[in-house]
Amino acid sequence: MDITETQEGAKAVAVLDGRLDTATAALTETRLLTMLEKGSVIADLSAVRYVSSAGLRVLLKAAKQARTAGVSFAVVGLQAPVREVFEISGFDKIIPAFATRAEAAQA
Amino acid sequence: MDTLPFHLRLPATLDSVTQLLDALEAHAEAAGISPGIAARLALVAEEVTANVAMHAVGATYFEMRVTPGEGQLDVCIEDDGPEYDPLARSVPDTSAALEDRDVGGLGVHLVRELTRDARYQRRAGLNRLVCTLPLVG
Repeated sequence: MDITETQEGAKAVAVLDGRLDTATAALTETRLLTMLEKGSVIADLSAVRYVSSAGLRVLLKAAKQARTAGVSFAVVGLQAPVREVFEISGFDKIIPAFATRAEAAQA
Repeated sequence: MDTLPFHLRLPATLDSVTQLLDALEAHAEAAGISPGIAARLALVAEEVTANVAMHAVGATYFEMRVTPGEGQLDVCIEDDGPEYDPLARSVPDTSAALEDRDVGGLGVHLVRELTRDARYQRRAGLNRLVCTLPLVG
């Protein structure tokens, strides 16, 4: 998992590349939670081909921390297999998902 | 081209889970399995074997077989840990609000929803999870 940080409008963007799974969950969680301490975060999952329940746990934790801190957390660019996992888990109803970073930045 | 079988036996560790996922990705590409089906296959593999690696005290290995069938893949995952039926876990509430969401049991829920005929057997001191993965849809 490679994570690079960039900016879209007023929001920070975490660009994830790789599998979000048991092996990469801890690293990803640390990075996302650290970024959320400074403000809203958009997680760009365009290059994530796979998310398991360990990965969902990380995204849930990020969404909860954002809610507590009064900032926003959203995901963009879900590939079809990732979208499928989101829908089966009901995550499509609790984590805002957008097609592009620009849309997420304006939300 | 989905005619190649897959078989891998690894020590019951988290490093092995990553190895298994890497091997499955390579297999899916070689066997012409679509990315969507490959992701489902990886998910079944990870949810079951990561659980063995993290919680099955005394397990020394896990083993995964994927056998191509008519329009489907037959999946079998075994381990030599203590008797444990992952399918016995209760179904999580996937409609709860953000504050109330907990991801316990979500992995097994995903396995159940993405496969057909998932069943657990305890035989000769081994846990065996068997399921089929349709190649369409």
